[in-house]
Amino acid sequence: MENTEKQVLLSIRNLDVVFGHGKKAFKAVNDVSFDIYKGETLSLVGESGSGKTTIGRAIIRINPCSAGTIYYNGKRISGKLSRKEDRDVIRKIQMIFQDPAASLNERATIEYIISEGLYNFHLFKDEKDRMAKVEKITKEVGLLPEHLTRYPHEFSGGQRQRVGLARSVVMEPEFIIADEPISALDVSIRAQVLNLLKKFQQERGLTYLFIAHDLSIVRFISDRIVVIYKGRIMEIAESEELFKFPLHPYTKSLMSAIPVPDPIIEKRKKLFIYDPAKMHDYSKEQPSLVDLGNGHMVFGSPSEIETYKAIRFANA
Amino acid sequence: MTNEPVVNNMENKDKFVIIGNDDIASEKIIAPRYSYWRSVGRVFFRKKLNIFLIVAFILILLASFVVPVFCPYDPMENVTNAATFNMSPVKAMAYFGKSAPPLKWILGTGPQGNSIFYGLFSSAKTSLLLAMACAAINMSVGIIMGAVWGYSKKFDAVMLVIYNIVANVPYLLLVSVLVYVVGSGFGSFIFALTITGWMSIAYFFRTQVMIIRDREYSLASRCLGTPIPRVVSKNILPFLTSVIVTLLATELPMYISMEVYLSFIGIGLSATIPSLGRMISQAQSAFRTFPWEFWPPVLVASMVTIILYLLGQNLADATDPRTHM
Repeated sequence: MENTEKQVLLSIRNLDVVFGHGKKAFKAVNDVSFDIYKGETLSLVGESGSGKTTIGRAIIRINPCSAGTIYYNGKRISGKLSRKEDRDVIRKIQMIFQDPAASLNERATIEYIISEGLYNFHLFKDEKDRMAKVEKITKEVGLLPEHLTRYPHEFSGGQRQRVGLARSVVMEPEFIIADEPISALDVSIRAQVLNLLKKFQQERGLTYLFIAHDLSIVRFISDRIVVIYKGRIMEIAESEELFKFPLHPYTKSLMSAIPVPDPIIEKRKKLFIYDPAKMHDYSKEQPSLVDLGNGHMVFGSPSEIETYKAIRFANA
Repeated sequence: MTNEPVVNNMENKDKFVIIGNDDIASEKIIAPRYSYWRSVGRVFFRKKLNIFLIVAFILILLASFVVPVFCPYDPMENVTNAATFNMSPVKAMAYFGKSAPPLKWILGTGPQGNSIFYGLFSSAKTSLLLAMACAAINMSVGIIMGAVWGYSKKFDAVMLVIYNIVANVPYLLLVSVLVYVVGSGFGSFIFALTITGWMSIAYFFRTQVMIIRDREYSLASRCLGTPIPRVVSKNILPFLTSVIVTLLATELPMYISMEVYLSFIGIGLSATIPSLGRMISQAQSAFRTFPWEFWPPVLVASMVTIILYLLGQNLADATDPRTHM
């Protein structure tokens, strides 16, 4: 395989996340397995309620895993960890939240919010060093030093999200989970935050798990894309590969929903609607996630996989 | 037709100059700096009534803590002179004449020839001290225990059982029995009011803590590895300032009325300690015959309670940041 030289940073194996107990139990994530390579951006796309955020939160250990394992740098990080391992994982894996208004403490100054992680791990020599670090990151995310004494509600959405970004990056993590970091932002400032994410990736070799529902943005930012539907992976492929050859009907339906910035084409465009009950017949054959080559994996029954393969390589 | 605006645009192009985009200017916040406590003060003093209430409260505090130092109250000073018992203000002023300190007998005398006017100050001091001590103990224990209760699932399970048992016994009954058992001194009275009093406050805080514990910025703190004590002090307590003040506004007057009530039914503080409740209790039979013994303590007790309550409510409103707009 071509991915052999890439180093696996995070790997998820047969992850299940179940909410509730007994009859009320709801399986939000169902048998999900994928790898994230060092230095790449992997996007997790799917509709609301598909389990994207739950996977992200399982990695950062807000939601406990019901089954399966998560490995980080070859070490298991799901389940119980020793205190030292726990602290280590917290420092290396950071998260950016969806809603910048809700994820910043309204009664703390920006200086405290950015320093919070530094205080917890005592990542500074003295007060002067801490201030220097905070000021440097503030500048890097495009905020002014005078903002440090202000409170979150005085900022615009884009500025707040940059504060959220600063408090994660100041910890010098290796891996950042960005949970729909721009979906709550105004369209005009989305690029600002995305560019910052890209800049930090280039400068610091960060790895991102980018959770999103907007495929047009995902194409811009990611190396590989995982399409998820009702807690199951439908398709995994490299970004360009997926946009060239969307095989799974659900991926196709997502692609057909991307708005085209031309009213005439947009008007003629036909939406592709995914209806699992009509499109799949799993009564005889069991579906599974199969690798078609080129790192392109699709979820389907053996006969479906044959058709997908035919389409994929006929086009090529 | 459709081309016309385009042509106009082309002509106008020369009239516009690109001045560029100043990044720093676009990040600047022009709004004045926000300070939580300054805004609290601004909202609080916007109501003129509050200034009046504060002045009244300070006067009451001064009167009840400073006046007894200079004008000591001795309920037994005329106990041997039966002629001085239950004198109306006019009679008392005439009887003691000019040799007595001015105002001492302005409200007449009580059943032992005691000065009602001096008695009021000493009684108010006891009642206020008692209320403040009880509120301080109950609030601090309640808040600390509530924070732990809201955070720890194991502690929660145990505390819920204890709370359910205690909460089902009427508070007044419990306090009455306790006062009866441990005696009627000042200390034992505080003990009776605080031994279970903190529990309802802690239960109230448990719920508040649980709500804020699961908010997104608390999750963010968890992702940053913030230890629980700091999450409580930085993420949770600052959001509960207005709740704490509101609670204090109802607790303080409640302890004053509790003392008045318990002393009134005869199981409060011992007879040697002057208190508003005891004064009212002693004068209840004389309510019609010697009204000057009954009404002054009733008025003082009501005034203190109402002022504290109003002040607390208005301060609670001011500490709520939603009113800071």
